[in-house]
Amino acid sequence: MPVTLLGLTFLIFFFTSFLSPYQLVSAYVTSPRELQAGNVDKIIEKYGLNQNFIFRYGRWIDGLVHGNFGWSLSLNEPVSKVLEQRFPATIELTIYAIIPVIFIGIWLGVVAASHHNGVIDQVLRVVALLGYSVPAFVLGLLLLFILYGVLGWLPPGRMDQWAQMIYYAKSFHHYTGIATLDALLNGRIWVFLDILKHLIDPVLTLSFLSIAGLLRITRSSMLESLGQDYIRTARAKGLSERVVVNKHAKRNALIPATTVAGLMFIGMLGGVIITETIFNYPGIGSFAAQAAEQFDYAGVLGVAVVFGIVTVIGNLIVDISYAIIDPRVRVG
Amino acid sequence: MRKLGVFFVAAILMFNVTMIMAGNVPNPNMVIEETIGLIPTLDPAWSYDTGSGEAIWQIYDNLIQYNGSSISEFRPMLSTNVPNAEDGTILDNGRTYIFHIRQNVKFHNGDILTPKDVVYSIERAVIFDRAGGPSWMLAEPLLPMINGAYVDSIEQWAVKLAGVKSFDDLFVEGTRTPKNDKYKQALVDTFNLLNKDFEIRGNNVIIHLPHSYPPFLYILAHGVSESSILDERWAVDNGAWPGTADTWWKYHNPTREKDPLYSITNGTGPFTLDRWIKGREIVFKRFDEYWAGPAKIKYGVIKKVPEFTTRKLDLIRGEADIIYVPRQYMKQVENVSGVKISKGLPLLSIDVGVFNFNINSRGNPYIGSGKLDGNGIPSDFFSNKDVRLAFEYLFPYNVFIKQVWMGQAIVPNSVVPKGLFAYDENVPKAFGQNLSKAREYFKKAYNGELWNKGFTMTLVYNSGNIQRQTACEMIKYYARRINPKFKVNVVSELWASFLDDYESGKLPFFVVGWSADYPDPYDFEQPFYASKGVYGSTLGSNYIKWAKKNMNPLLMKSMQMVEQAKRAQVYQKMNIIAHDQALYMFLDQPLSMNVRRSWINGWYYNPMRPGIDFYSLSK
Repeated sequence: MPVTLLGLTFLIFFFTSFLSPYQLVSAYVTSPRELQAGNVDKIIEKYGLNQNFIFRYGRWIDGLVHGNFGWSLSLNEPVSKVLEQRFPATIELTIYAIIPVIFIGIWLGVVAASHHNGVIDQVLRVVALLGYSVPAFVLGLLLLFILYGVLGWLPPGRMDQWAQMIYYAKSFHHYTGIATLDALLNGRIWVFLDILKHLIDPVLTLSFLSIAGLLRITRSSMLESLGQDYIRTARAKGLSERVVVNKHAKRNALIPATTVAGLMFIGMLGGVIITETIFNYPGIGSFAAQAAEQFDYAGVLGVAVVFGIVTVIGNLIVDISYAIIDPRVRVG
Repeated sequence: MRKLGVFFVAAILMFNVTMIMAGNVPNPNMVIEETIGLIPTLDPAWSYDTGSGEAIWQIYDNLIQYNGSSISEFRPMLSTNVPNAEDGTILDNGRTYIFHIRQNVKFHNGDILTPKDVVYSIERAVIFDRAGGPSWMLAEPLLPMINGAYVDSIEQWAVKLAGVKSFDDLFVEGTRTPKNDKYKQALVDTFNLLNKDFEIRGNNVIIHLPHSYPPFLYILAHGVSESSILDERWAVDNGAWPGTADTWWKYHNPTREKDPLYSITNGTGPFTLDRWIKGREIVFKRFDEYWAGPAKIKYGVIKKVPEFTTRKLDLIRGEADIIYVPRQYMKQVENVSGVKISKGLPLLSIDVGVFNFNINSRGNPYIGSGKLDGNGIPSDFFSNKDVRLAFEYLFPYNVFIKQVWMGQAIVPNSVVPKGLFAYDENVPKAFGQNLSKAREYFKKAYNGELWNKGFTMTLVYNSGNIQRQTACEMIKYYARRINPKFKVNVVSELWASFLDDYESGKLPFFVVGWSADYPDPYDFEQPFYASKGVYGSTLGSNYIKWAKKNMNPLLMKSMQMVEQAKRAQVYQKMNIIAHDQALYMFLDQPLSMNVRRSWINGWYYNPMRPGIDFYSLSK
């Protein structure tokens, strides 16, 4: 894991080596009015932007080892603090999003395979196609328009102003940073419901594409399983179709689906950049977008490191769960 | 599971209905503004941007303030008087200013304002002097001139007194420890030059300027963040400069992460800082002990919402009271029930096309062959007055305003925007598109060689700026139209690359904007026309030589006069010279607009406060 992360950070940092000090200084100088004679050179000197790549990279890695991710120029505070504040919000969003993906995606995939080439299968194939075709920003804006603009039900953001007043009050304890959980732990049911209300739109947007993906994979996998000899044997034994599908075919079909679901969870972290921006959701994704837009390379690097860690850990969990689901892997 | 789901849906719907039924005006004690800007800092000495400015203005007070929408009349603020010559509070031909400091004013932490806080705040703003920051505004009036020129950084005096080449030469490398006692003394003497300007007599603060500086009151007025008044004791307790002469350099030009006041506040303003979630929102809470009486609303909120659709829906649903609307989306909020729009609000800013008189030709892809051979332009192409005049007549100003700004801008006739005292819409007469005149000047330039051979050059704009892109595209179109041999390419660059090329002098022509730091024509004339101005200094050696002779003396003359009418005459003279010489292409002065719910009362517009004055608002 450290080697992967080191390689990742080196790669991202490497790209900054193509930039001249004057290009790097653009993160500090956002308006021509700040260009009074000599100021740019002073800023370059002050922040060490003219130092060579290896030196700058070494300094950054040294800081990283000591828990210092650098200073976010776009938010004007330590990157580690930004990540600490925003990461729980993103994790909360992705956890809520992965739940429907797993349950609905797998369920629909099984249903589609069970009704192979039937009406339900055809309808679900269209749904899957739609899921692949509709970009997140289109779906997001559409949901926002209908569910908030027209109906006024589901507003963007993380919570309403009144809920924020409670959430950020001194008496409110932030045990986990996961707002719904903290609201429950503080006994604030209305705040919990408000946060949940704000999660519906981004969760729908984020999970729609993945549901379609998992549906297709589960369906294919189920079709393959249903064609196996042991399924024929099970049917020949006189087992009901429900038992054949759920007990014999589904478990085997879940092996690739689980692998993909794990990767989807990781992939969702990439998807949060657009979703969080549309819904003004204050997670790591909207920070990444803002940091990239403003050339905040410390911020971008910080996000990349976090995504890298999550990816590596995610893959590890997938491997472990693979062994649990498929005993052959464990035996092997 | 199913029952649980039904419960949640029902609860959410019930909750929504309850909230809607609670009243017609949501959040009656709170005004919410949704915008796109960031707030980089809450330290007044660092702030040099609108986002920070808007936040700081809610929390801190200055000595004086503008009178409502006026940018020429003042009202008292922390000073109970606005100095003027008639009552003897401006003396010595505009060099001495007397302020009677308001008594029993409380800071948010309970400390009482003293005249010493006023002196500390202004001195700190000068010594803070972060590179690229606003300190020059106070340094110019408060520090003595060097060789007849204003000093825009305290470093200049330290360097002069110590007899070194640069400020860093005074210190042991990598530290802020002076190399020797001589240098240390020079640094102390430098501070004393500043400190001797201030005198505290009873409850009065008397400021003695080393030279007259007519815009001085503008610089002290509410709207210029760096002149905000801090609580000295609180600032020192939190690690800011302790107010001593022999330490100031340790607090000078800090890095962002070493500025102790960037996220904490303690002003005397109508609101205290309730919370600031960086990059998301800032919440101000009413300060009930405000000297002018508490605000009508309890909370003011500025939220960053990057998506226009989200902002618009929030406005329509009443979740936002005031939103930022880009011009291209103006029609989407017009005629919306319950929404009020104020349009045509003049901004004190202009967009200007800059001709580079001496283009850096080394490895420069934007000037083609670098010769007048049809495949490029020579590096001094825009030093030729006929070429500049031809481009002035080439540009379709009115079409540009109509199509790009949706009519929400005016064509400037000089660098002075409409609204400032030296503005005269007829003098000089603004350039307008005249293709026959453009043709005439192109034929005249280089004795007809340019017309016969043509030219090739590339115009660059910073990507994402549609207005600047369109301006460049329009030049390209009309240049080709009057002579097919005139080939103009248009490319976009990210701000980082644009800045790189700009700094290295590679851009032949580019568009930039300038907004008022304070409402005085000097703030516009100086950056563009002075040989050391932000833009003037980048135009190349030909321009600098010319400006030293023709513009610098006039600028200096304008600052030695106190009477506004006489100063206006000087600026108009400069504007006529600039027009005759076709120094810049003045493209537009944008008009602003404000989009808000009609239940908002007390809103007013002041171009020196482009943000919202929450104190004036109620619902």
